[in-house]
Amino acid sequence: MNIRLAIQGDTLSIGGIRELNAANANAFRDQIRSAMSDTLKNIEIDLSQAIFLDSCGLGALISLHKTACSRRGLVRLVNPAMPVQQILELTRMHRIFEIVKAA
Amino acid sequence: MGSLKHEFIRGTALRIAMPWGLAEVRPAVLAVRAFLAEHGLNEEELGACELALAEACNNAVQHTPPSRRSRPIRLEAVLAPLAVELRVTDHGPGFDWPSRVELPEPERECGRGLFLIQALMDTATYLRGPDSNCLLMQRARAEAVVTEGSPVRTAVELERLLAADERIIRDMTDELSSCYESLAAIFRFGREQASQSGIKEFCRRLLEDLLRVTQSRWHILRLLDGGTGELSVFTASDPSLYLKPLQLGDLAMAGRSLELESVQSRRDVWFDQPGMLPPDDPLAVVGGESVGLVHPVYFGDALIGTLVVGGSAATLRLTAAQVNVIHTFSDFLAIQIMNTRYQEERVGALLVARELEIARHIQRSLLLRSLPEVGGVQLSGYCESSGQVGGDFFDALKISDTSMLLLISDVMGSGIPAAMFAVILRGLVRASVAWAAQPAELLGRVNRLLFAELSDVEMFITAQLVHVDLARNRLTVANAGHCPLLVAGEEGRAPRAISPEGMPLGVLPEPEFGEEVLPLESGLRLFLYTDGLTEVSSPDGSEFGTQRLADWLAGCARSRMSVNAMKENLLEELNRFRFDEPLRDDQTFLILSR
Repeated sequence: MNIRLAIQGDTLSIGGIRELNAANANAFRDQIRSAMSDTLKNIEIDLSQAIFLDSCGLGALISLHKTACSRRGLVRLVNPAMPVQQILELTRMHRIFEIVKAA
Repeated sequence: MGSLKHEFIRGTALRIAMPWGLAEVRPAVLAVRAFLAEHGLNEEELGACELALAEACNNAVQHTPPSRRSRPIRLEAVLAPLAVELRVTDHGPGFDWPSRVELPEPERECGRGLFLIQALMDTATYLRGPDSNCLLMQRARAEAVVTEGSPVRTAVELERLLAADERIIRDMTDELSSCYESLAAIFRFGREQASQSGIKEFCRRLLEDLLRVTQSRWHILRLLDGGTGELSVFTASDPSLYLKPLQLGDLAMAGRSLELESVQSRRDVWFDQPGMLPPDDPLAVVGGESVGLVHPVYFGDALIGTLVVGGSAATLRLTAAQVNVIHTFSDFLAIQIMNTRYQEERVGALLVARELEIARHIQRSLLLRSLPEVGGVQLSGYCESSGQVGGDFFDALKISDTSMLLLISDVMGSGIPAAMFAVILRGLVRASVAWAAQPAELLGRVNRLLFAELSDVEMFITAQLVHVDLARNRLTVANAGHCPLLVAGEEGRAPRAISPEGMPLGVLPEPEFGEEVLPLESGLRLFLYTDGLTEVSSPDGSEFGTQRLADWLAGCARSRMSVNAMKENLLEELNRFRFDEPLRDDQTFLILSR
């Protein structure tokens, strides 16, 4: 999966995601988990490029949310595109993720 | 994408065979999305269809076990003017579609697929079958077909498309009107059924309607007689079509009759081209130019019969819709026929039960509440029905202070007729007490009065009369084919069997009846009975018999047993003899002692 990872303090930032679906969700989840070194507790995912998210993708995001929670951190979803934003709202995921619009 | 097989159907549908695998889902879904985009769906619709289809395909992949993964999963998208329909067909064992699809707890990582499908589509129907499962999803389109971007078409192409559309509309109208016709007919008949006099008339009218709806000319409905295995014509549209019965097991006929063939194969048999009817098929009377269909009529697994519907090749159009109508009518007929048979059986059983009840009531009314008392004579009687109500009874009439008349009788037959004749006989005898002292004369008189009625229904009655005269100390016995009465004295000799000449009542118009006169001595025991008593059988099959009865009577007379004690004693004897064998006949007897 061709994604960009960056570390800012205790936050792991992820960008370049185009799709999170049944075929790649588990790989994405495992890649992020292995990147979560002990000093990190928050996960920030840039979804501005994401055009497709299915229920397996949602599952991966929830799994990462649990990882962050276990470190007293959180998952922040940044600038989700409209279709993805709608899916998040439809499945009420906006209640557990922090969804932010950032420049 | 290289592994996908695309197939376009009529330009408004796309079918894709997708190999098993989660990685195959995305390209297949994207291909469908592209197809839908080409046909003018907007972004929101495309997004919804894309995600719903992806979820459906993911499920299909995840629910297919390794043994079934060689068969591709089929994706179909059908664009109708007002809606888009997506279908995903897989060959796995399927899963239970929940009655309510709800979002799982927020923390759960899976279980949102079905929820998304339901939220994004207007309808989602999961059809689970033994070999394949199909998830059918529909979503209404935001706007009618957009022409923008669609390729320019030639006039010829447009004409062809229009013609195709017209054909589809005509087929749909046909189907709709056929369905309406059959529904209307069924409702009409269903309502009339309550007031229907007979199932035959009902079938005939229903099938007339079927001929009209299907534009057929003739029909033959055969019904199976379960007892004989015969398929006989029940109704037909023309008298010439009341063909001879077919025999289910008739092997010689099996290869020649399309009707038998349809029963054996449990399938419709078509003769939809002129000349397809075998020349030696009984159906060939309709003529070689006739075409039609033989449909085996089943109710569940039970064969009811066969229905043949036919007409001329020029007018009869057996389209799929018409065949559906024939099947619907036939299913409905089967239900009605079974219903009628069931009702008849039930009514029949009720009638039999009612008849038995009436007959029992009549027989009970014949039992004397108390026996007459004349001089020092003692009487005791017993009459027990074996269940099937017969016509056994006895009567004892006081004629004067010193005389009485005893009657014992067995009407051959059972049920209401036997009980009725018993009542009539008793009435006639009671009305003829003027002849009590000449019992033979009395029997002759009763026979004259009853002969016509009895011989009309082929019944007869055996009877025995005993006039008891205390003033002259004698008994006068007359007999009409009844078993002998027994007389025993206290001196201990073997009882005598008294049986004067005489045919049963109802056999000859003017028979001769003999009489026998016996002295009425002190200590005498007189025993009248019907032959059900001596025919009581033991578990080893032997009968109680007259000898055992005579021995018992001699014993009673010797020991001067009272008549009531004799009755109890005999019943005990009989029960001991019979042990647990059921009673096969009525038990009736009358005992007199002096």
